[in-house]
Amino acid sequence: MEAYDAVVIGAGNGGLTAAAGLAQKGLKVLLLERHNIPGGCATSFCRGRFEFEVALHQLSGMGTTERPGPLRMLLASLGVLEDLTFVEMKDLFSVSMTDGFRLTLRADKDQVISELEQRFPHEKAAIHQFFDLVYAYANNMLAAFFFKDPAPSREKYPVLYSHAFKPASEVLDEIFTDPLLKGLLSVYWGYLGLPPNRLSFAYLAMLLFVYIEFKPFHIKGGSQALSNAILNRFLSNGGTARFNGGAKRIIVENGAVQGVVTDDGDRIQTEHVVSNASQVTTYAQLMNRENIPDQVFTEMGGRSLSPSAFTLFVGFDCEPGELGITGSTNFLIDSFEFDDRIFSRMRSVDITGETMVLSCYDVADPDFSPAGACQANIVTLKYGEPWMRIPPARYHSVKFQCAESMLRRVEAIFPGVRTHIEELEAATPLTHMRYLGHPEGAIYGFEQYTKDSMFFQPGRYAPIEGLYFASGWIGDCGFQPTLNAGMSAAKSILKKLDAA
Amino acid sequence: MSKAIFEAFDGYQGIVDEIDFSRKHGVDYTVYRDSVDQQINLLHPSRISLRVSDIIVESPSTKTLRFVSQDGYLPPFLAGQYIAFFLEVGGVRTRRPYSLSSPPNQTGYYDITVRRVERGRVSNYLLDEARRGDILEGSGPSGHFYFNPVFHDRTQVCLAGGSGITPFMSMIREAVECGLDRTFYLFYGNKTLDEAIFHDELGRLSGRFQNIIYVPVIENPPGGYAGATGLITGDLIMKTIGDVADKTFYLCGPQGMYDFCVPELQRMGVPLRKIRREIYGPPAHIWEDPAWPREIKAEDHFRVRVAGGKPIDARAGEPLLTALENAGLRVPSLCRSGECSMCRIKILSGKVFQPAGVPVRKSDRQFGYVHACVSFPIEDLEILT
Repeated sequence: MEAYDAVVIGAGNGGLTAAAGLAQKGLKVLLLERHNIPGGCATSFCRGRFEFEVALHQLSGMGTTERPGPLRMLLASLGVLEDLTFVEMKDLFSVSMTDGFRLTLRADKDQVISELEQRFPHEKAAIHQFFDLVYAYANNMLAAFFFKDPAPSREKYPVLYSHAFKPASEVLDEIFTDPLLKGLLSVYWGYLGLPPNRLSFAYLAMLLFVYIEFKPFHIKGGSQALSNAILNRFLSNGGTARFNGGAKRIIVENGAVQGVVTDDGDRIQTEHVVSNASQVTTYAQLMNRENIPDQVFTEMGGRSLSPSAFTLFVGFDCEPGELGITGSTNFLIDSFEFDDRIFSRMRSVDITGETMVLSCYDVADPDFSPAGACQANIVTLKYGEPWMRIPPARYHSVKFQCAESMLRRVEAIFPGVRTHIEELEAATPLTHMRYLGHPEGAIYGFEQYTKDSMFFQPGRYAPIEGLYFASGWIGDCGFQPTLNAGMSAAKSILKKLDAA
Repeated sequence: MSKAIFEAFDGYQGIVDEIDFSRKHGVDYTVYRDSVDQQINLLHPSRISLRVSDIIVESPSTKTLRFVSQDGYLPPFLAGQYIAFFLEVGGVRTRRPYSLSSPPNQTGYYDITVRRVERGRVSNYLLDEARRGDILEGSGPSGHFYFNPVFHDRTQVCLAGGSGITPFMSMIREAVECGLDRTFYLFYGNKTLDEAIFHDELGRLSGRFQNIIYVPVIENPPGGYAGATGLITGDLIMKTIGDVADKTFYLCGPQGMYDFCVPELQRMGVPLRKIRREIYGPPAHIWEDPAWPREIKAEDHFRVRVAGGKPIDARAGEPLLTALENAGLRVPSLCRSGECSMCRIKILSGKVFQPAGVPVRKSDRQFGYVHACVSFPIEDLEILT
């Protein structure tokens, strides 16, 4: 029987860094992936002369070579930096509203503040107060957790103690009166999947902080380049990767991992499994119920599945400027909503006044698409469950109808885009379900309520010896957190082996 | 940290209560099991088991094979899409894509229409060996050559060559059977009139429906033939369609037809974004490609080592995928035209020739990945599948 020190199930961000991190330390590692390419969300696909980016909008935590952020350091430790070219986005984001409102915020604290002061002079003091709070929170958080203060206290970290569990909209309501300004400052809720009234201020503050301090980035060749680079490092360190076939079963005996059965029926002996698959799939599909303590399902049962997404990938036969697109990251907004009404929108199939983000990578990287062409990735969050109720025979026509309504929303802000379309592909929640294997196509894993943050949940650990998780399902979602999650899982295994 | 500090954060108790409540009224995830796979199989099964229910002779060289599903379920498809068959022919396991020629509104069966081709191992097998009742494994429907109502025009100008008629048959049959608001100009090129598959049916449809305009174009017409002859030229198209405005152009046929027709369309003023090309297998005579290295002959042989294993033999003029299959290796594939990326492999050493325009991801090029179905060995190789 084949034997490995560790088997990693899934070559998404978390699976790749876990596999690469383990192989780098000399472990014999097998990486299994159902799809024919590595990356999970971090992939691309080709249509005509375009290569479409699937999921990366703004990479966080990179920082510059002079002032590296945590992600740059992680990638450097894996030895993949020299294989990649990162492109800094100068803008935090642009907001375009159907009523004609336009605003662009540069990814710089002073410029964000001065731009907002100019546009909202009546909120000048509040703007300062807000950013002071965001920075105080982030600095408290980093000192207490990232730098692991051995003796934290309320006196040292007052903002952390008072604001960590507050909803974002409560904080915004306390500080601001102008609803437009509140909307602009909470527009990143879409990157986390919860409306501002449900989203914790902590997430919003950290997101603004890391994007402003470490700048948003994109990658030449898209997120697929990152996935390919990590896989390449894994292979050159002696790792074995198998594509077009995942894991069918995790073998557990006496509460400990004993091996894995692959989709092809091969039995692999191992004492360590890192699952980059969802916890739902890992526990409910890959393992026998009798090997799983009840507590696992009780704990998981309290969590709900995040939204999926409806995404349009459009290739245009002209440059972004000709379409009126001047920013890399554009939030397209009908009207700002902050409350549970956002849920009802996300729970319906049709697209009407949804907030959507249009990313045009060619703005920051003119080589992204072929010369004289550009592409846009336009996404809005949608739960997968309503899509699962569409009869298969109706699926394609519903997909086209939604693509049409989404395009109309884009046209309302960038008129004339339709006359330049060369390629157009739509991805529904079922598409995300197909390629990610996530139940209901949940792109962010479980919903990111405070109660489901790493403080309260088991994170990468399982009550089964040798089993670890590395994905967006264990707590925070997004590129930086999932890449980080894989490294943490690798470290846990290495630590355990060192101790033995 | 010795003690979890967050227990002292404001609002902590409220969150603990919320957790208790949500667990009490929570989701039972034990029942999810393989529900994701089950749901996806309704649309995109990786495999379907098909039974030959009928074989229809279309012409001396062409047959339509009709398939029903073994388990009674056929996934929906878009007119123009294909399925791949997983076959064992002459002891070699291989796969071949065929466009569905039946319309998607026909939910009881899938038709594929196969024409005999020189050295077409699989086509000839399907024509000569397949019998009613045979069971074949197929992929789910796939492919990107279909009418996209979001940005295609309702007037479709279709250029077909030989067996490239099949996706258009599906589209046209759907349009007339479902009364779709679409107009088809179909230019169908063949060497001889006998070779024009579905010629009678297309003639009938064109006579009966105003929105179906059928123009067979015969290269070597019989004496006294009154229809269009020669190749599908820009002049012929323009004369028939009037102008190019508000029309989308679809091409399906051999490479030679694209090489001739695409410049013709461009000369007519059709922008590239209005031209949709179906993939049509690897180039048949790759050594005739202008970029092909002259010192390499089609018959030259090279050794290919797969992940350090025993070397296998590969011919320069033949796709690497074929050599791998002939050697008994299992390499997944679907479109066999460079598009679907299923047969993506990594070249560790040595060189392959890839025709221009094959869609390979930028970072795949950086790290040495190619699509084996459109890669031709021009040196000894070491590869990773």
